[in-house]
Amino acid sequence: MTEPVLLILTSLADRPRHGYALLRDIESLSGGRVRMSTGTLFGALRRLLDDGWIERFELEDTSRQKQAYRLAGLGRRQLHQEFDRMKQLTRAGLARLRTSEAI
Amino acid sequence: MNRAYQFLLLLYPREHRDQFAEEMIRVFEEASAERRARGHAWYIRFAFAEMNGLIAGAADAWRDRGQAPSAPEQTLPGELAEAQRLVDMNIAAMVHAIANHQFQKARLFSDQERQAREHLRVLREKYGRYNDEYGMPC
Repeated sequence: MTEPVLLILTSLADRPRHGYALLRDIESLSGGRVRMSTGTLFGALRRLLDDGWIERFELEDTSRQKQAYRLAGLGRRQLHQEFDRMKQLTRAGLARLRTSEAI
Repeated sequence: MNRAYQFLLLLYPREHRDQFAEEMIRVFEEASAERRARGHAWYIRFAFAEMNGLIAGAADAWRDRGQAPSAPEQTLPGELAEAQRLVDMNIAAMVHAIANHQFQKARLFSDQERQAREHLRVLREKYGRYNDEYGMPC
């Protein structure tokens, strides 16, 4: 899973978001490290929609209706798997670091 | 800047533009206003990243499109579909060359694309298909 995809799915994990809200949330999630361009964002959204990991959602906005996106069941399962994989890798990596530092 | 953004959006395949162009422009305008408020340096960096992102995004979109079966092509007569594919391939190659700063190559693909489009126009007349996939006059 690429970093833009991981960040988009993570951003949608708690609630639906429209494009600009996604950009802002991703910047905040990554501690300001990732400032995604609209080209990257919408390219990733297109692929995620095609793969059925996310779906479109009409979000009521105070000023105007905005097209939003939400996590689909398949996307949620993929995100869980990715976090499990990262947890496992983190555990293994930290264990190796501790072992090498103890020597 | 908005005009440059809209112009670069033309590099994307039509399906992508139909699906996302309006939304991309709106998000770009919102992000643009916010970066401008942060200061000149922020805005310049943002504008540069956006333009690069669009060119790379267009190249990806054409590549993805080449891998997926295209619905309109399936309904077109053989030689028309082939001519359409040739136009698509040249556009994809041109976008890829621009993204890699190979401007001489890009010009070559642009010339080839113009010839391929002219051939496509002739075939469209032959088959009475005037609905250009790119929304441009045949």
